Amino acid sequence: MKRWWKLAGWVFAFAALVSIGSVEGASYYYTSQHGQGCASCHEMASYVSAVHGSAHRAVNCMQCHTASLATRLRHIRVHLERSWPEQIRLRDVDVLEMTPNCQNCHQQEYATWHAGPHGATCSQIFANPAHNTQRRLMNDCLRCHGMHFNGDIRDLVQPQNTQGPWKVIRADLADQPAMPCAACHQMHREGTPSTRPPGRISVAGLPVHDTLAFFDRREQMHFTAVSLAIPEMHDGARLVTVSQDPRGAICYQCHAPRQPEAGTAAAANGWDRQVGSGDDRTPMGVHEGLSCLACHDGHNENARASCKTCHPRMSHCGIDVEKMDTSFLSASSAHNIHWVKCTDCHRKGVPKAKAPTRASAGVRPPGRTG
Amino acid sequence: MLSGSKSALVTRRQFVAAGVAGGAAVAIGCNATDRGNWEFLTVDQSRTLAAICDQIVPADDFPAASQAGVPDYIDRQLIRHYRRYQDEYRRGLEQAEALSRSRFGRELASLPARQQLEIVAALEQQKPEFFALVRNHTMEGYYGSPRHGGNRDAVSWKMLGLPEPPLLGRAQYDLGKGESQ
Amino acid sequence: MKRVNAVVVGAGAAGGIVAKELAVAGLSVVLLERGKWYTAADCRKDDLRNQRTTVLGNAFGPEDEGTPRVWVDAQGATHTVLASEGGYNNNAACVGGGTLSYGAQAWRYMPQDFRMRSTYGAPAGSSLEDWPISYDDLEPFYEQAEYEIGVSGDDSGTPFRGPRRRPLPMPPLPPGREFSVLEPAAKRLGLHPFHIPMARNSVPYNGRGPCMRCRWCVGFACEVDAKNGSQNTVIPVALNTGNCELRTGCMAKEILTDERGRARGVAYFDERGRLREQWSDIVVVSGCATESARLLLNSTSGLFPYGLGNRYDQVGRHLQGHHYTGALGYFDFETYDDIGPGATIAISDYNHGTPDLCGGGMLANEFIRLPIHMVDRLPPGTPRWGLAHKQAMRHWHKRTIVIMGPTQQIPTADARVTVDPAVRDKWGLPVCRFSGNVHPHTFEIGEVQARRAEAWLKEAGAIHTSLMAGKPTIVSAGQHQAGTCRMGNDPRTSVVNKTCQVHDVDNLFVIDSSVHVTNGGFNPVLTIMAVAYYASAALVREWKGTGFRS
Repeated sequence: MKRWWKLAGWVFAFAALVSIGSVEGASYYYTSQHGQGCASCHEMASYVSAVHGSAHRAVNCMQCHTASLATRLRHIRVHLERSWPEQIRLRDVDVLEMTPNCQNCHQQEYATWHAGPHGATCSQIFANPAHNTQRRLMNDCLRCHGMHFNGDIRDLVQPQNTQGPWKVIRADLADQPAMPCAACHQMHREGTPSTRPPGRISVAGLPVHDTLAFFDRREQMHFTAVSLAIPEMHDGARLVTVSQDPRGAICYQCHAPRQPEAGTAAAANGWDRQVGSGDDRTPMGVHEGLSCLACHDGHNENARASCKTCHPRMSHCGIDVEKMDTSFLSASSAHNIHWVKCTDCHRKGVPKAKAPTRASAGVRPPGRTG
Repeated sequence: MLSGSKSALVTRRQFVAAGVAGGAAVAIGCNATDRGNWEFLTVDQSRTLAAICDQIVPADDFPAASQAGVPDYIDRQLIRHYRRYQDEYRRGLEQAEALSRSRFGRELASLPARQQLEIVAALEQQKPEFFALVRNHTMEGYYGSPRHGGNRDAVSWKMLGLPEPPLLGRAQYDLGKGESQ
Repeated sequence: MKRVNAVVVGAGAAGGIVAKELAVAGLSVVLLERGKWYTAADCRKDDLRNQRTTVLGNAFGPEDEGTPRVWVDAQGATHTVLASEGGYNNNAACVGGGTLSYGAQAWRYMPQDFRMRSTYGAPAGSSLEDWPISYDDLEPFYEQAEYEIGVSGDDSGTPFRGPRRRPLPMPPLPPGREFSVLEPAAKRLGLHPFHIPMARNSVPYNGRGPCMRCRWCVGFACEVDAKNGSQNTVIPVALNTGNCELRTGCMAKEILTDERGRARGVAYFDERGRLREQWSDIVVVSGCATESARLLLNSTSGLFPYGLGNRYDQVGRHLQGHHYTGALGYFDFETYDDIGPGATIAISDYNHGTPDLCGGGMLANEFIRLPIHMVDRLPPGTPRWGLAHKQAMRHWHKRTIVIMGPTQQIPTADARVTVDPAVRDKWGLPVCRFSGNVHPHTFEIGEVQARRAEAWLKEAGAIHTSLMAGKPTIVSAGQHQAGTCRMGNDPRTSVVNKTCQVHDVDNLFVIDSSVHVTNGGFNPVLTIMAVAYYASAALVREWKGTGFRS
C-alpha cells in the first residue's frame, strides 16, 4: 500500500514537472520563433499571419501579450479540448495587461494619452456622480467606454440607479483605463511599419496610421478608419461642410450626432442630423470644415497649443484669438469654440478684415478638404 | 529589440523545458497539415467551396463571396451550429468536383469563370438540396454579421450603403427634467 | 425551502407584472424563470442569431440542445423540431420573455375584438367566442400598462379605437421616410393613418432615455434600455420591494396539489438540474400559451389524471397566433433612411366592418429590414443567386417598403397543444406537441388584407408589388401565441374564469396570453399586460379577503 502511495507521488511530481515545463517551454517557443510557435496551434494561425503583415510585424507575440501562468495553462486546456470560441478575442483582462506594453515603444503617445481625458480610468468614468445623477447607467455606455469589458454594465458598476454612491465592483478594473490603446488602434491591421508618426497637421495630405481603427463592441472587432462613415451634418436645414479626414471618422463613432429627438424643432421640420446633437462637436462657424485632428491631439484631446497653427494668419480681426470670449478661454463662455461665428460678437455686421485674409494669404486651412 | 536579450539567452532550464513541451506537442498530435487555416474543410474542399460561393455571389465592383470570407463563415459553422450538415458538405463538394472533372477534366477552382458557372448551374439542377444549402449559407455569410467570419469588414453592408458601425449618438438628457414615475 | 405566498412561473410580459403587483401588495413571491437574465455580452445584436433570424440559433432562448417540440402535419406524420426552427413556434425563454427582444408594438384591442361571436357569429368549424370581459373592463388596465411600462405613439388619428381616458404617456418618435411616403397615400385612399403605439421611450421616461434609432430592433435587446419590457420595468420594481425573489435557470416540472385538490406549490429543476419544491399559498402560471398549457398537462395526479384544469379536455385547445399577410412594394426612389425602429405608421380601418369577413387586422409598415432579410425578398423573377441577384440587392435594398399585419385568427378547437407521449426534453418532461391547423376563413381574410396592403403601396408609388399571403399547413402560434387556457364562464368550454382563476382549483391562476379567447387583429402584448394587471388586482382583492388559506 505504501509503495502505491510513493509511486503515485512520483507520478504526480512528474506530471507537475511536465506541465510546468510545458508552459515555460511553450513560452520560450513563442518568443523565440517569432510567432511560429503560436501559429502551430491551428486556431491561432490566422492571427499570427495577420500580425506578420501588420505594422507590428517586427514585434514578438509575447512582447505585447504578456500572459500569466494561469492564462497560459488555460490556453493549453482550450487547445487540447478544442473548445475555443468562434471568435477568438482578447478578454478585458488581456487587453489591460497588454496596454502598458505599448509604452515600451510609444513612450510619447502613451504619456500623452495617459495624462488626458482619453486615459481616464473605469472609476473616473463609471462612478462619476456628476454624470450618474443625471443619466442612468446603461449597456450602451460600454460602446465607447470600457468597450473590452466582458459583461453587463450591472456587473461593472453598482448601484444601477441615480442615487449612488457608485462603485466599480470589478476591483481589478477600477483603476484601469476605460479607453485603452486598443479602443482606437488595431495592432494586427495590415500595414507597413513607420519610423516616426507623421506630423500632427499636414497640409499636403492626410496621413492615416494603418493601425487606426475603431473597436466595435457589438462585432468585437475593429473597423479601420478609412472604412468608417463620416456623416452628413446639418445646421437646421443647411448641409454643413464636414472634413473628410478619415481619422475624424473614429472620433465620430463616439462623439456622434443623433437623429432628431421627439419634440425638437429639427424633428418637427424633418431636418436630418443636427450639429451639436448628442455628443457631436462638428465645427461650424469660423471653424466649419476643419478636421477634429486639426486642433485636437487624438491621444488626449488637448487643443491648447493648436490655435497658433493657423492664427493670427487666419484671423480676420487681427486680435489674439486665444483671448476672445469663447469656450477656449473659459468653459463657461456662451460661445462654443466649435460653433463660434463672427456674427456672434459682431452683431451689427462683420467689420472689414484687418489681417491678411485666407484668399490673400493663398493658403487653404489645414484639414479642410471639403 | 526590447526583450531580445532576455529571449536570446537560453537557460538550461528553458532548454529542457522546451524539449518537454516539444515532446508534449508531438504526443498530442498538433497537426493540421491538410487543413491549412481551415477548421473543418480540407484545403481542396475549401477551393471547391470558394469556387461555388463565388458564382453565387460573384465579384463586380464589390468583392466576391470568397473575398468577403464566406468560406470562412461556412467552415466555422460546420464545426459549430451547422455540424449537422457536415456529411452534406463532404458529399456535395465531392459531387461538384466530379461534375467538373467529367465535363471539363479539371478541378472546379481551376476553371475559367464561365465554365465554373456552368458547373454550378448543373449542380443546382442535379443536387438541388445541397445547392440550396450552399446558396443560403453563402447569403448568410455575405450579408450577415462580420463576427462570424463572412462579410469581412462589413463589405456587403457598405455595398448597400449602410455604414458600419452606424453612428449612434447618445441622448443628452437630464433625468431631473424627464418625466418620471 | 420557506413557504411563500405565491409562486409565479415565467418572468415574461405577464409574469413580471403579476410578480410586481403581488410583491407591491405585500405578498411574498418567488418568480421562476427557465431562461437567464441576459447580459450585454449576450445582446450583441447578431444579424444571424437573434429572436427573429435564427439560422445560428435563438439569442434569447431556448437553446437547441435538449428542448425539442413535435408537430403533426395534415397527413398525421410527426416532425421533431429544434428550438431555432420554424415549426417550433418559439417566443423566448429569458427574464423579460418576449418583451426583451420584441418590436414593442403596444396595441389595445378594439371593443369588437372582445365580442367576436356576437358581432359575426361563429363560422362553421370554428370555436369563435366572446370574451367574458369587455374592453371597458380592461380599459383602466390598458392605461396602467401604458403608463407603467411606458408607451409612445399617437392614435388620435384613427376613429377606429376604443375610448381612452388618457392619451399615451409619450409622443411618437419623429417619423421616418417611409412614414412620409405612406401617410399621404393612405389619406388619399380615405384611410386613417396614425403613429403606431410602441412600448419604447421616445423621450426620457421612467428614469431611462429615449430610443437611439438604431437599425436592430425587433428580435434584439436594446442597449440603451429604451425598449420597455418587463425586465427593465416591473421586474426591478418587484425585486426592489424585497418581497420577490427571482430564480433563473429554473424549469417548472409540475404544479403540486394536495389531497383536496388545491395547489400547494411547484416542483422545478433548478439551474443545476436538481429537483426542488417550492410550496406556496397560490400558484400563478405565466409561461405563455404553449408552455403554460404544457405545464398544466404535465401536472397529473390521482385527482387530476388529465392534468390541471383539464377536466373537460379544454387545456391546449383554441391555439392561435396571427396570420401575417401583406405586400412588398418596390419603388423607383429611396424609401430607406436607416433610422430605426422602422415600423412607424399603421391603419386600423380594416380590423372590422368588411361584409362577409369575420374581422380583419391592422396594417403597418415593417421594421427595418436587415440585408439578410432582403435576400429572399427581391422582386419576383429575380434570380436567386449570381451577379443578377447581387445587383438586385444593391438596387432594391433601399427602395422597398413592406406593409403587413396580423390577421385576426378564427380559432378552432382542433388547433391545440398536447404533450407528446414519447419525446422528452433534457429535464425528462414530455414536450409540446402541436396539431390541427388554421381555420380556412382566416386565409380568406388574410388574402383580402394582403390586397389592401398592395393597394396602399401602389397608391404610394410602388412600381412593382408582390403579395405575401401564404397558406401554411401548420398551427399558427409563434411569438403571438394565445388561447390555450381560454377564459370563460362555463367550466365545460373554458379553463379559467373571468379573473384567470382555474375553474376547479381556486388557488391556481393562469395569467398570460393563454387566456385570450380571441387574439385581436393586433400584436397582443399590451392586452397580455392589461389582463395581467386586471387579474392581479382581482387576485390581491381576494387575497386580502381570504388569504387563500384553507
